[in-house]
This record gives sequence, structure tokens and C-alpha cells, in this order.
Amino acid sequence: MSMLLTKRLARSLWRTKLRLSAVILMVAIGVFAGISFGAYANAATNLYEEIYDGEDGINLPDIWVKNSIGTWNESDSENLCQSISDEWPQSDYSLNKCEARLILNGLMYHTNSDGEEKLISGVWHGIDEGDVDKVWMPTESELSSGRLAESETEIVFDSHAALAMDIELDDTVVLGAGQGKKHYTVVGIGFHSQHLYFAQEGSLMPAEGGTLATGYLTDSGLERLANLESGSSNRLLIDIKGKPAYDLQSTDENEGLELSSVMAEIVTIVNSHSDSPASTHDRSGVESVEFLRVDAEGASKMFPYVTGMLAIVAGITIFLSLQRLIQSQAKEIAVLRTLGIPKKSIMPGYILAPVFIGLIGVIIGTILGIYIGAPAMFTMYSDLIGLPVTISVSSNLIIQIALIALIIVMLSGLRPAWQASRMQPLEVFRGQHEVKLSSRGLQQITAKLPATVGLSIRSSLRKPMRLAFTFFAVGLSMLIFGSMFFMMGTMEEVMMGGIKENQNWDVMTYVYPGGEDAVIEWAENNNVEHETMLTFPIPLQNDTRELMGYGLEEMSTVDDGEAMMVLQLKEGELPLKGTTPLQILIDEGTSKFLERNVGDELIVMVGATPVEVEITGITKGEVTRTIYFHRSDLSDLIGIEATTVLLQFSDDVSIEGLAEVTVGLVVKEDMIHSFESLLEKQQSMYIAIEGLGIIIAISVLFNTLLMNLSERDTELATLRVLGAPMNKLGTMMFWEHLAIGIVGGVLGALFAYFGTVAMINGMVTWAFFMTVEPQIISILSLVGIVIAISIALTPIGMWRIKKMDLVEKVKDLSQ
Amino acid sequence: MTLVEISGMERHYVMTSETVKALDGIDITIDKGERIILLGPSGSGKTTLLNCVAALDNPTAGEFSFEGEEVPRVHAEKMTSFRRENIGYVFQFFNLLQDLTVLENILLIQELSGGRDTSRALELLSLVGLEDEIDRFPAEISGGQQQRVAIARSLAKSPKLLLGDELTGNLDSATSTKVMEVLVKACEAEDITVIMVTHDESLTKYATRVIRLDSGKIISDEKVNN
Repeated sequence: MSMLLTKRLARSLWRTKLRLSAVILMVAIGVFAGISFGAYANAATNLYEEIYDGEDGINLPDIWVKNSIGTWNESDSENLCQSISDEWPQSDYSLNKCEARLILNGLMYHTNSDGEEKLISGVWHGIDEGDVDKVWMPTESELSSGRLAESETEIVFDSHAALAMDIELDDTVVLGAGQGKKHYTVVGIGFHSQHLYFAQEGSLMPAEGGTLATGYLTDSGLERLANLESGSSNRLLIDIKGKPAYDLQSTDENEGLELSSVMAEIVTIVNSHSDSPASTHDRSGVESVEFLRVDAEGASKMFPYVTGMLAIVAGITIFLSLQRLIQSQAKEIAVLRTLGIPKKSIMPGYILAPVFIGLIGVIIGTILGIYIGAPAMFTMYSDLIGLPVTISVSSNLIIQIALIALIIVMLSGLRPAWQASRMQPLEVFRGQHEVKLSSRGLQQITAKLPATVGLSIRSSLRKPMRLAFTFFAVGLSMLIFGSMFFMMGTMEEVMMGGIKENQNWDVMTYVYPGGEDAVIEWAENNNVEHETMLTFPIPLQNDTRELMGYGLEEMSTVDDGEAMMVLQLKEGELPLKGTTPLQILIDEGTSKFLERNVGDELIVMVGATPVEVEITGITKGEVTRTIYFHRSDLSDLIGIEATTVLLQFSDDVSIEGLAEVTVGLVVKEDMIHSFESLLEKQQSMYIAIEGLGIIIAISVLFNTLLMNLSERDTELATLRVLGAPMNKLGTMMFWEHLAIGIVGGVLGALFAYFGTVAMINGMVTWAFFMTVEPQIISILSLVGIVIAISIALTPIGMWRIKKMDLVEKVKDLSQ
Repeated sequence: MTLVEISGMERHYVMTSETVKALDGIDITIDKGERIILLGPSGSGKTTLLNCVAALDNPTAGEFSFEGEEVPRVHAEKMTSFRRENIGYVFQFFNLLQDLTVLENILLIQELSGGRDTSRALELLSLVGLEDEIDRFPAEISGGQQQRVAIARSLAKSPKLLLGDELTGNLDSATSTKVMEVLVKACEAEDITVIMVTHDESLTKYATRVIRLDSGKIISDEKVNN
């Protein structure tokens, strides 16, 4: 008997093919997205482990000691390593290796296919022993080839840059580091931990092809380029035996307390033996490492939520549809119950139906996920990150995703099944199960309105639970859509806003200490405005985290911005020069992570010296954690004048000759072009996800509004029989849909906004921080979209009424 | 004075295996002020005739005029407009809108038909004896009261012809009597012609004319003195 009942239910469901297809589609999309994101998460995690911790990996250091203002000579670095070894702190950890390394900013002189010579920012690594932080050259990957550099004229070129600039083995590249051009032969193509995520320092987005070059030379090769004495270095790479835990910046607690204390002691040791102030950081201080880890961790956390969220939307739609079905089948159920069919025979069908629907969705979603979603994600990941990844969708992942989807979908059928089994035949035959008193309070509120308006409001709110669930589901759909919408705006603001509109410099040049004079001379000879700037890493006292310190010649805000580097002051005042304690600005990310506000004091480390500073203002728009000093104040602390010279050009000045007097330079125009190009690429992905969200929102809203309309067939037929004209009924429906659209839209926008805030809060770390700025145009667009979807139901409703067979309806009404 | 003139009206339904003649050559002339009861067994064609008179259905053949004007066919909006201007309709199951109060059910029809007139709505409710129930929802009043609201609603736009399909079919006899008395009183007061379909022979006492149908044909048409 129950088999026949289930068959009957299946036929009833089949009659709602469109709705059924929409629900299957939603489940399929959930599973598809889950498998795609899950495969991506697994790939990212595997890659991360393979590179950093695998047998054939790069032997990533545990501690970096950085000399930010100069270089150590050979004996300095040997002595420092010896001191670190001799004075190794009392700890469970023991030293494995201390290796000196030279890393310099520079330029590449690249002649493109049109024969034009372009200056490209570069970072050059001089690698001596190369036991720690090795160049990664996976043999099985097409993205790497050749061997390590052995002579001073050889270079291993980074795979990302080689691919973007068509550089192959045996090609000659021309490099510079402030001491003229030098030629090198490419003997290898590979990767390096610092540049796995191939982005300009401090940038959230990967560098566009042809705007950044990195290469791995021998130590003597780099010394030749920069005209430095043999054995020069500016980093000490410290490898500790085993795998010490380090402080993950994406969490509040310090997982690497032991390592932090070792680092603190090492910085003391180094500063006590060196004139140049040094700073230390662990793996979390390497943006490339931290980005990959956070990306892998974020993707692993996200994919069950994406699947769950979409399955919930599908579950709500199934739940509402089944409830409506039960309502329309009430008399049949009542007849069956009167004929003695037990409750337990009624229930299974309503539980099985969603499971069956879910299963079809899971199968479709799995096939799409394996054959389309996962490969597409891998392609996107490879394109974006430029690393060799392997496509694999594990059976565990599929089972995990399928179970999430099926359990949620099955839960959606429980209450309707229970309701169906609890129906009282007598109540159904008397029609009492349908009679629901309208709220007296609502009646009083709407009493003064025209009856048509009152009816619209009360009809819309007749099933508050259904409406609430619909708004919730629309909200979730809009979270998918709107979050992408907000993310697009936020990314644009983060990447472009600060540079395009606020910055007044045209070229930023990097110089060695004392090298600013040559740039200033060049600027004055060419009638170019200039402004010196000092950048220096500023660690916090008793903390592993580091701020990027900026010493600005002039401080001004975007509102009265005269300076070349203007600031977006969120709150507080600009600092005064030469005060005690020193007045500074911090960015809002630093303010949030350190829980410091305007008026608070902070102790930062300059070398081994703690320096007390007073926060006078908080800036916004910075991706990395930043502290702003007056240049003269910072210069007094660290003993150098400038590391950067900002230049402001008039139209007819060219940058010819500038490369010869700088270590590296960034042209603002190129940077903007590069960001625009990247945004364009990103937007296609965002738009695809947005499209997905909007399809789901349309399905959910249409489902409920169509149910509302079909429930009102009797009402509308009565009004038609009594002579109500189509235009009046249409107007009535329009206002009703408008009201639902406005409420749904506002809720959807709120969901989207707070969802995006939560998503971004989950993503931000000490290294990458951004906020969502609620833009009125984005919010209005979201509300407008939901209203448009809702209003679009009006012509459908009118079409339904027009198609309504009043003679049949009158029969129904009379029987 | 003639209100409705029907001649040779036919309504055929084409089924898979046969054509059913629900109306098979109906000729009726109805004068203003008449109260007609259509009687007949199930399938006799009385509801089909009512639907054709209400311009809900299109006759297959025949002539049908109202106040000397041909009644529109096929064009749904013109048919609706004809109903709005001329016809009141009372259903067996009342078909009141559950979300609106008694008074609002009447005001709604006024709003949809042209203009809201609260005093007229109150006057009609008073006419059907429901002046004390105006703020109640339909579910809060009895079936008889609901049907009286439905009658008041059907009179709200001052129709020339009121049609009722088994309007007491869902009520007990005492309540039916009360509803019919209200209907007669209201229609006399408003000078409205009435056509009612029923199975209930006892209702003929409220009619001025009784028409019996069988197999789509009129088998008797007699005037009665009530």
C-alpha cells in the first residue's frame, strides 16, 4: 500500500516539473560548488605541504633575521651565525642550520616583442649554500626546467615571470640593481618560497604578467650585479630541527609561543653583535607562505559551508513545496485516513521524496563537479597562482559533500511528512485545516487602507512562516550573489582606490641608503618634483608580528592632499614632528589586531631598542599592517635618510636615465594598468558566481510567489466572477510583489552585507586586512534586483488569471 | 420590461468519444423584477445556463441579449466588464475573502468595480441584518451569516441581475429560510432580478417563476404567485 502511496506522491510531484527541476538544480549546484571548492582546498593543502614540508620540498626556514638598512659582510654573517649557535636560547628547539642570504630589489631591462625596452621591478636572490629555502624545481612539472645557477653569470628565472615574458633556458636576461646593467644566462626555471604567490610586496593580488621579475643567482652573481663585496648578505635563514609550531596570524592565540621566545632572544643576540638594526619573523611573516596557508585553510573551511548553504536553500524550497503539496492533497490524505490507512503509511513518501530529489541533484552535481567544476578550479588556480597542481577529486570528498547535501535535504521532508500524517480527516472535510484567522492586530493596522491594499498586505503575511523561510532562503542566495558584489567593490577599492585617486606620485624609486642623492639630482636636472620616503620593518615589543614603517616627508590626508603619498585618515589627527613620545599613525588593521586606538601608546622595536610611540590617528585602505612616522623622526631612530624617492612628473618628462640611479622603480600608470587587468580577470569569476546566486534567488522567490498565487486561485476567481477587472487585480498584485520585493531585498542586502563582513573577517590576517565599505549603490542594486525578481511575478500572475478557466473554477467554487 | 432574452441557446462539450449537449435550444425571456428558480436533476444544464447568463461561459449557438444589447462572448475582459456592470453572483460556499472583515469584503468589490462607498456598504449590511458584525472576519461568523454577507457583497455594485448557484446548498433549513428571506427582501428593496439554481423544491416559494430543465432542455416554465 505504501508503495502505491509513494507512487501517487511521485506523480503529484511530477506535475510540478518546473519547481522540481529548480530544486534538483539547487542541490546539484550545491554539490557542484562543494566538489569544486573541496578539490581546490585539497589541492591547495597538498601543494602547501609538498612544497614546505615534503621530502623533496624547499626546506623552508623557521626564522628569518633581516637587516633592513644595509648588508653584513662575510665575517659579520659568519660571526652572527656563530653567536646564534653559541648563545642558542634554552629551549626544546635546537639549531639545525644558519645560512646567510642576499636578497635585493632591482630591475630587469626587458625588450618586448615590439622591440621596446621596458623596466620591470625585480627581486634578486643570491644563494650561497642553498641548503635552506632552496629554489623549488619540481622535476615532474612542465613549469620548471634546467638546473641551479653555478657561475656568477647564471640565473634561475622564476617560472611565473618566465612564462609571462616568454623567457626560456639559455636566454640572456639583462638585470640591474642600481649599479648598471648586467647580462645573465638563464640556466633554470623554477620557484621560490618568497614568490610562490607571485605578487609585489604588500600586494593582495598576483602581479600581472610582465610587471614583476624574480631570479635566483649565485651569491657571487648577485654581488656582481650590485657591486657588493664577496660574502655580503642581508638575511640569516635559521632552520630548526623538527617542525616547530609558529604563530598563525589568522588565529587569536599564539600557537608558537616557544618559537616566539627563541626569536626574541635571537634578535637580541643579532642586535648585540651588529650595528645595523635587525628584525626577525617566522613563517607567518612571509606573505607568500602565509597567503598559501590561509588560502588552503580558508578553502578547506569554506567548501562544506558553500554546499551546506546551497543545500539549505534547496531544503527550504523542498520544505515549502511539500507543505503546499500536502495542503493541496489534504482531502486525498483525509480520505485515505478515513479508509483506515495508518499514519506510518502516509509518512514515508514525504520523507523519501526529498531524498530521491536530493539524490538526483547529488548525482548531477557530482558529475558536473568532477568533470567541469574541479578542472575549472584547477585551471583558475594554476592561472592565478602559477603553480603546478594536480587534478584529483577524492572519493572521501564526494562522500562528504553528498552526505551534507542529502542529510539537509532529507531533514526538509520531516516536518511536512509529520504534518501529513497528523491531519484530522474531519477537520479537512470541514475545511477547517485551511481556515486561518487573519491577525486582528494586522487588521487594525491596515483598516484605514483601501481594502485592496489591506488584502494585499494580509495575503502576503497569511503564511508568515513560509514568508520567513523564503526571505531566509533569498537572503542566503543573495549572500552568494551580494558577497561577490560587495567583494568586487571592496577589491576595487583596496587595489585601485588608494593608488588611482589618492596618490600624487608618478614613479616610486627604491634606493640604497645614501642613494637618494643621485635620484634627487636626476629629478632636479629634469625638473621633476621629488619627495623622500623611508620604509623600514618595525617589530612590536614581545610580539612576533611586524609592522611596515613608513617615514613620510610630508603628511596630508586625501581631503587636503598636497603630499605625494596621501593618507586616508579614518579617525584622529595627523602626528606632529619631534614629539616625545613620538607621534605616529597606524592603519585600522593594526588598530583592530592590537586593540589600540587614538590616544593609546605602543612600544615598537627599532633594532634591539624599544621605542614608545603615541597613536594620534588611524588610517584606512592599507592591506598590510602599517605605521606612519614623520620621516625625520624615523630617520633619527634608524640612522638612514631614505629608502625611496617619490617622483611627480610633468607630461613631457621621460624616465630615461632614472633606472641607472635606482635599485628598482614602480611606475604608477603600469601598476594601475596591471591592477585593472587583474580586476577584469577576477570579475569574470565573480560574475559567474553572482549569476549562480541570482538564479537561485529567482528560483526561491518564484517558487514561493507562485505558491502564493496558486493558493489564491479561489480568491482571484471569485473576484473575477464578481467582475474585478484585470488591471485592478494586476495593480493589487504589483503592490503585493513590490512589498515582498522590498522586504526581501532589504533582508537580502543585509544578509549579503553581514555575510561579506563575516567572510572578510574570516579571511583577514595580520598580513592581509581589508574591510567592506557599504556603498549605497551596491545596496540599492541588491534591493533593486530582488524587487525586480518579485515584480516580474506580476505579469505571470496576471497571465495565470487570464488563463484561468472561470467555468471550471466556478464549478470548484460551487462544489 | 424585458431584461434578458435568450433564444436557441446551445452549449456543447466535446468529449473524447462524444459531444455532450449541456444546453440544447433554450429560449427564455426574463422581465425585470422576476425571481426565477432553475430546478432540475444533476446534469440537466441548469448551472451551465447560469454560467452562460453570467457571461462566464460562451454558448455554442443561439442568441443572448441583455437589456436589448447582445452580451459579449469570447473576449474575457468584455465579459468581465459585462458582469461588473450588470451581474451579482452568490456562491454555494460563500467565497468570502478570509483575510478581510465582513465590511471590507464589500468594500473590496466596490474598490475593484469603481469606487469605495462605505455608507452604501453599511446600508447593505444593515439590509441583510449584519450591522453588528462588520468588523468580524468570515471565520468568526456562522455559515448563514457568511451567505448573507455574500448577498450583500453581490448587491454592492447595484447589479441588475443577481445569480445564485445553490446558495443555500451548504446551509441547514432554518438558516436557508433566513437567507432566502433576506435575499428576497434585499432584491425587492434594490429592484434586482434574480435567477437561482437549486435542487431544493422548497425554495420555489420564494420565486415568481420556476423553470425546470432536463437534458439541456426546458421541460416546464411556470409563473408562481409569491
